[in-house]
Amino acid sequence: MSDLLVSGAVKRFGDVEALRGVDLEVGAGEFFCVLGPSGAGKTTLLRAVAGLERLDAGTIRSGGRDLTHAPVQGRGIGMIFQTFALYPHLTVHDNLAYPLREARLDPAQIERRVGEVAELLRIGHTLRRRPATLSGGEQQRVAIGRAIIRRSKLLLLDEPLTNLDAKLRHDTRVEFKRLHRELRMTMLYATPDQLEALTMAERIGVLREGRIVQVGTPRDLYQAPGDSFVAALVGAPRMNLLPAVLANGGRAVALPFLEVDGGPWATALGRFPAGTELWFGIRPHDLAPTVDAQAGPRFRATVHLTEPLGDVTVLDLTVGGTVFKMVLPEERAVRYRVGDEVPVGFAVANTHVFSRQTGTAIR
Amino acid sequence: MAKGYRARGVRQGGWGRTGLAAVVSVAYFFPVLWIILTAFKTHNDALATPPKFLFHPTIENFIAVFRRSYIKGFEAVDTGFALFFFNSIFVSASSVVIALAIGTLAAYGFSRFPLRGNDTYLFIILTTRMLPPIVVIIPIFLMFRVAGLSGGYAGVMLLYTAFNLPFAIWMMKSFFDELSGDVEDAARVDGSSETRVFSRVALPQVRAGLAATAVFGLILTWNEFLFALLLTGVGTRTVPVAMAQTIGGDIGVRWGLLAAIETLFLVPVIVVSFLLQHQLLRGVTFGTIKR
Repeated sequence: MSDLLVSGAVKRFGDVEALRGVDLEVGAGEFFCVLGPSGAGKTTLLRAVAGLERLDAGTIRSGGRDLTHAPVQGRGIGMIFQTFALYPHLTVHDNLAYPLREARLDPAQIERRVGEVAELLRIGHTLRRRPATLSGGEQQRVAIGRAIIRRSKLLLLDEPLTNLDAKLRHDTRVEFKRLHRELRMTMLYATPDQLEALTMAERIGVLREGRIVQVGTPRDLYQAPGDSFVAALVGAPRMNLLPAVLANGGRAVALPFLEVDGGPWATALGRFPAGTELWFGIRPHDLAPTVDAQAGPRFRATVHLTEPLGDVTVLDLTVGGTVFKMVLPEERAVRYRVGDEVPVGFAVANTHVFSRQTGTAIR
Repeated sequence: MAKGYRARGVRQGGWGRTGLAAVVSVAYFFPVLWIILTAFKTHNDALATPPKFLFHPTIENFIAVFRRSYIKGFEAVDTGFALFFFNSIFVSASSVVIALAIGTLAAYGFSRFPLRGNDTYLFIILTTRMLPPIVVIIPIFLMFRVAGLSGGYAGVMLLYTAFNLPFAIWMMKSFFDELSGDVEDAARVDGSSETRVFSRVALPQVRAGLAATAVFGLILTWNEFLFALLLTGVGTRTVPVAMAQTIGGDIGVRWGLLAAIETLFLVPVIVVSFLLQHQLLRGVTFGTIKR
């Protein structure tokens, strides 16, 4: 059962097409992330669902109602803004009570609900204060409280963690998951951060230049990216994408320093003529020094740079002019220094091939 | 906000700077002080050279503002100044209130619902203030004559409203421009109609701007002389006009009397500024101190 259905959504701002036909189906109670770089149209999409932007084409349905032309007031949707957008002239209490007062609930009920929400979000001690006197995390929780106090079925979150520091981001991610479980709301969450999407979402829709390019579970997107854009967007450090060409009668992928065949893409490659330009993709985590690697392709590369991250180290490697990354656990990485030569290997099952012309995955 | 100050390395000045600031302030304030002192002097003290700083204060000038004899030896009569003060207050306050009401709505419109050629409209509004008043005074005088608006309250109030309006629109627009649009969008999502977005969310955030605009408008209107001279009648005369008429006389200028009028004239401005000072301080910095 779907709770939100967006079809063919088009939105233009002058000559700029922010949304170019977005189709999206979010299930009831689902935590759905819209992932995309800035400028992809995430905010426009959320604002259109909220009713703050009018679509030039397409429809929006939610809870069995056609909302395409419904005014923003009365859509019964909660929204959390990137800037929190708290009412600066009102106390926290009045910020929380605002949506209920606009809905003309009776005062006793308003008090009860403000109390409940304040307790749920642990902001009871801030009720008499103005937003400007609160910490970033407290402001964030007030913004959440104001968005959920009406108990709407659908909650829109527009990059809600962007204005928080790193530690708070982690805590708030956990908080969002808890709230989602406890409140059973449908959540549509926009973020440019793949980590947020991977850790929180049940499903992710990748938005690129106003179009949804892939929808799937975090696992789908990580293991089987539909194109080179998704491949580069999901996962950190990002997937190594190396230029390659189709060789050996259409069976093998030729890198400048290595020829790889027999991957999950081998059969599909048969449809392409020899010489087709490709991207060869492998995640930094899937590379390892061959002493530990099983059978499979191997080559020798030079350590160019090391980036210790504490538990793991990212090694920048070069082989003939090509630069790529490999991630190793700290204890295995310590023995490599800049300038050392490393024998590198990988399992073909973990490799990806994309058409360089269209970016589409071949498998 | 205090945190912001520290972060930007703003510290309280030492005695040296404070002292220098005090000297400059006194230099600026001196003419006002001189007027106030003169208001409490007798005619002879007021004209004494070298000027007297120590003297026996008298309130005879203040009494003379309202009742005095115009010919020496005759009975003191009402000068009408109570009415003139009322006129000044009434005319200034109403025209500022009207201009602020219309100007705030217009400014919100210009800021949030821009038209095609929005800036052109704003520029045209501003051009109405570009001509020096003396240039337009004859046509305006004739128009008001023909329309029967000269001499009454309505005419001068209408004119002052028109004078304050461009200024109110421009100032209030700059305050609305500074507000976060997200906050108003949040109110829409929370169920507020456009009217309530304006009255419950946008307007309360620009209280400082309203105060600043009101005070500037009041001062502008309060001190206006030229149009008041031409457009007010005997019963609607404002203080600046009446004051000018007091200067004339056959036995020289009564400086003490003039200073007393001037001192009384300052009181409403000071009172209003004092009442609104907290809002005003935030208003006149035009958001240079960030939230």
